[in-house]
Amino acid sequence: MSSKVNLDVLNRQVAYSGEGISVKSLETEIAKEREVQDTKVDELKGLRERNVEIQGAMADELKKLRKFGDYLSGTATKGGFLAGFKEVLSYIPGLKGLALSQRSIEELLKAQYHLSARRVKDAAEYVDTLKQSEQDLYKEIDRINVKIVEMAKNEREALGYVLELKQAQEALKAEEQAMEAGSVEQRDIQASADKVHAKLAEHSTNVLLYGSAEERYARLKDNTRKLAETIRNLANDIQQYTTAASIKLDMASAQIQAIGRAADASSVMLEMKRSLDVMTESMNVTTQFVSDTQIFFRTNLDTLIKDLDTFDETTTTVLDENLKKSREVEEARIKAAVEKATQRQGAAPAPAAV
Amino acid sequence: MSIVALHTQALVSPEADVYLDLLGRALQAARLNNSFPDRRPLQNTLDTLRDALRLGVYGELYVDARAGLPNLASLTRVRTDHEVATESLARMGARAPLEARREEAEVFARLAAKHAYFERLQKLELAPVDHHRVLLRRHDPGTGTAAFRIELTKLDASGVYLRLLIELTQVSSLWRRKVIDLDEDGETAAANEAFRSTVYRCADLDAETLFVRLHGIEGVRVERVARGIIGPALFSLPAGAGVMVRRTAEAPNDALGQAWHAWSLGAGAAETERPELLVAFATDAAAGDIREEKSNDPLSPLLALRLAPAEAARYRSLRERYPFKVFKDRKFVATPGLKAVAQAVCDAAGTRNILYDLRTG
Repeated sequence: MSSKVNLDVLNRQVAYSGEGISVKSLETEIAKEREVQDTKVDELKGLRERNVEIQGAMADELKKLRKFGDYLSGTATKGGFLAGFKEVLSYIPGLKGLALSQRSIEELLKAQYHLSARRVKDAAEYVDTLKQSEQDLYKEIDRINVKIVEMAKNEREALGYVLELKQAQEALKAEEQAMEAGSVEQRDIQASADKVHAKLAEHSTNVLLYGSAEERYARLKDNTRKLAETIRNLANDIQQYTTAASIKLDMASAQIQAIGRAADASSVMLEMKRSLDVMTESMNVTTQFVSDTQIFFRTNLDTLIKDLDTFDETTTTVLDENLKKSREVEEARIKAAVEKATQRQGAAPAPAAV
Repeated sequence: MSIVALHTQALVSPEADVYLDLLGRALQAARLNNSFPDRRPLQNTLDTLRDALRLGVYGELYVDARAGLPNLASLTRVRTDHEVATESLARMGARAPLEARREEAEVFARLAAKHAYFERLQKLELAPVDHHRVLLRRHDPGTGTAAFRIELTKLDASGVYLRLLIELTQVSSLWRRKVIDLDEDGETAAANEAFRSTVYRCADLDAETLFVRLHGIEGVRVERVARGIIGPALFSLPAGAGVMVRRTAEAPNDALGQAWHAWSLGAGAAETERPELLVAFATDAAAGDIREEKSNDPLSPLLALRLAPAEAARYRSLRERYPFKVFKDRKFVATPGLKAVAQAVCDAAGTRNILYDLRTG
């Protein structure tokens, strides 16, 4: 006589979606997903190095423009007028050692304008790269979400099956107790119980693995989202700075072209000084951006890179702090704008009574 | 008024596109010889600017409000784009994946457009803002005599685009500072900085004034000074269903500018909803081999005719020392609505000038 317990559960196919799971396959899958983040972090590393280069070049050009400006405003008198001007000329590429009377200032300004415009363009080109990275990361989040849902479903499936197995196990246990010890029936029930136990062990492991996978993917998603937001904020800041610098340069070009040939005459030195001031301003704006981003990288990226590898609490804290600061800045901006709007509204004359 | 900065006018699409198309076709119609800046690079620059506007790389086109031509910012924009194109393309990767993700986010559509823009741009030779060349024509080491041609292409401070060509012979001697240095092989030449700057600074002077100025330099015999000038361009572009019109905002105050101003206020302009463009192309040469001294330029009489009597006498005596003659000419390219303006200016000055047709639409 065989067991009266319904053992169909042993033959049921459990419908897990995706490929089977093991500790090794889970690690491989997670590592694959993390590769995307690592690539983005590598891109940020490259950006940091390029940033340092641009900062060096900009600082150098800013120095030249300041010297040029000081010379024109008459504040650079050390070593005499001619010596000062020669020093200024020596900063411009290809013009080392030329005498005062030998150079067209119009030509110098146009050459410097070209260099400055190129520098701003170099910086601005990174905006699209960062925005592309941001989109890549959001796409990655979509992919991780699919995984999370899959893991959650599989965990639910495993849990349901484990419960069924548990019920079968308990029923077999109860049935076994009613049988004569050592009887054929008891042995038969024990054999079934062993099979149930083996299945229970297998699918309990699945419960743990799928549960763990779901949690790990969720953490991965959280960090990916934070990285995407960090990149978006950086791209927005770069865009803001380079747009401002570009507008200033456009104004400078108009002034350089307008003063034209007259730039070589001393009577228009003041005009030229203004033109240079506009250029200096643009370089200031851009240099400030580079400095700011460099500080950002210096203070955050190393930690970011290190901690992203381990996904520990420090990473989360760093990103949280970073985003918190960004949000604070954003909120302060909004608050300032609202205050200004409120003030304007208050200052406006009251509408005439009808 | 579309003035956005000093002497700077901003045009946006679709007017900017129409303007660049007309200007490009005007350059072709003008049949420019080598007295003028090279047409092909300038054409490439106009096409690139058009491309950049169409693809949304730039939102506006900056035009010199006096000369009606793309200004320093516009020329520099595409030149710096050309410089960063290769590196940017390498960073962007292939265009196909960007195109495939076009619907995913705005950045991919923009990058795909930029990719196409950079791809086309990197193969082109663009118009320079300034370009200086010294070419050796003849060299006789025995007598230390060398003949050179100096070419300067320049976006002038007045907004016009010009080429200055100087042919001169230099006799080298130990005690004299040379204006042009030959390398040891006697094959390549470079103007010294002082001479180079003199040429650069004086590029906007009349050919005859420049001829006299350079002839004064010791050890140099000037044979020819020639200038070819593109501009000004006077345009009228319907905007906003023909209700508004964008025009050259600060047209020069010469006979052409005044005639243009009168036209723009008159019935002729009011009746037309077509885009109109008139471009001037002037040449101005001073050389020993010119047969007859004459100005066929309705906007620029000979220098001798513009001087006060006392100065004219001094100038005559100066000219006797330098045997050269001057010839000035100017041709025009105009759309149908503006042909009469150019013709009236020529008639008033008593000159007979070539007037090429430029068809619209």
